[in-house]
Amino acid sequence: MFAPCAAWAMVKMSSPQLQAAFVIHQRPFRNTSAIVEVFSEQHGRLGLMARGLRAPRSRWRGILQPYQGLVLSWRGRGELPTLIQAEIAGPCCLFQGRRLFSALYLNELLLRLTHRHDPMPELFARYRQALLALQDADEATVLRLFERDLLKHIGYELVLEHTAEGVAVVPGGRYRYRLGHGLVPSQAEQAFSGEALLAFAAGRLDNAASRDCARRLMRQVLAPLLGDKPLHSRLLYADYRRRTARSKI
Amino acid sequence: MTDIPLLERLIEALRCLPGVGPKSSQRMAFHLLERDREGARQLAEILLEAVARIGHCRLCRNFTEAELCEICRHPGRDSSLLCVVESPADLLALEQATGYRGRYFVLMGHLSPLDGIGPGDLGLDSLERLLDEEDIAEVILATNPTVEGEATAHYIGELVRARDIRVTRIAHGVPVGGELEYIDGGTLSRAFLGRQVV
Repeated sequence: MFAPCAAWAMVKMSSPQLQAAFVIHQRPFRNTSAIVEVFSEQHGRLGLMARGLRAPRSRWRGILQPYQGLVLSWRGRGELPTLIQAEIAGPCCLFQGRRLFSALYLNELLLRLTHRHDPMPELFARYRQALLALQDADEATVLRLFERDLLKHIGYELVLEHTAEGVAVVPGGRYRYRLGHGLVPSQAEQAFSGEALLAFAAGRLDNAASRDCARRLMRQVLAPLLGDKPLHSRLLYADYRRRTARSKI
Repeated sequence: MTDIPLLERLIEALRCLPGVGPKSSQRMAFHLLERDREGARQLAEILLEAVARIGHCRLCRNFTEAELCEICRHPGRDSSLLCVVESPADLLALEQATGYRGRYFVLMGHLSPLDGIGPGDLGLDSLERLLDEEDIAEVILATNPTVEGEATAHYIGELVRARDIRVTRIAHGVPVGGELEYIDGGTLSRAFLGRQVV
């Protein structure tokens, strides 16, 4: 008596319907298909096979674009389920100019630091919020706060209000960050100021000093997670700045 | 699977073609051996010759047998116009559809950090040299309207702008003969943003 129900439940489980998601990246597959990497609200990051996506009359081609809020349905289990439905739901973030590089950076971070099939609905909400903010807010602030929250959701939350010993961080103090440990007081030249750390913890990166502190801290913390493979969007941005600066001279 | 290692190697070798899986490559191998040995011989010769002799044009990076491709050599072409495209196929499409009489620069790809493709892979050093050495009045950015294509266009656009050269981007929007009702939201919002004074 239970068997049909169980079978039905399994089919239901393996074909999620109309899930909120964003396309992170896509790679061509065979002649006209593509493997689309998506970040979904309820199922985390996953790869989907989109058959016929690159065909001339594909109905999905204009829809399955990065930074476009979507609802997707897919079927099948295993590593690469098949996409069966895609509809626009929510805002389409069109990035102009340099902000495009920042948007690519967000996607590369997600791709590198999250695992497939690891549901992170809160991070999904943060990603959507970051994309919207990236349209007009200060780019560095958006990126640093997203990095901070991404770390939290993948299990590397930074504690910036207290030192590793549990002493409250004070605005006038100076600290360095010991990986896997936390903040420790330090008088070194590159030490972070307590004021900047507290501002970062509160999400207020409204001056150059706090933004610089956040940038250096995040670089330090992200480095071991990224290993020896650099973030290409970061290299691209550095190269972009170098070339445009050089040719202006 | 077979007792002829050579046949197996042929089947395996044919799989280097795009869209050819084990089944198709087996069909191709049997077809060539059973029905068209002459065709196979010709194919082998032309492949060897093509790989040996076809290189990239020194100026535009398109495929050519000579140092400069036909378009770059053509005296009737306006050398002050430079159109940047992603692939030779895009170049052909523009040649067939438009009356464009300028020259091209073929990137052979687009910037894609998520695939590890950076400026060094697209010959942007050659493009910069071209901008510095040739007398170019306008650069037309005809990369695809994808996120990567846009990033590429912006990147190159900045390189061009820094040299005080006029830079334009091809328009995106509603296809000719299309109906607004059936057009996807992304295209429509682009078309709306890029509206023009009539």
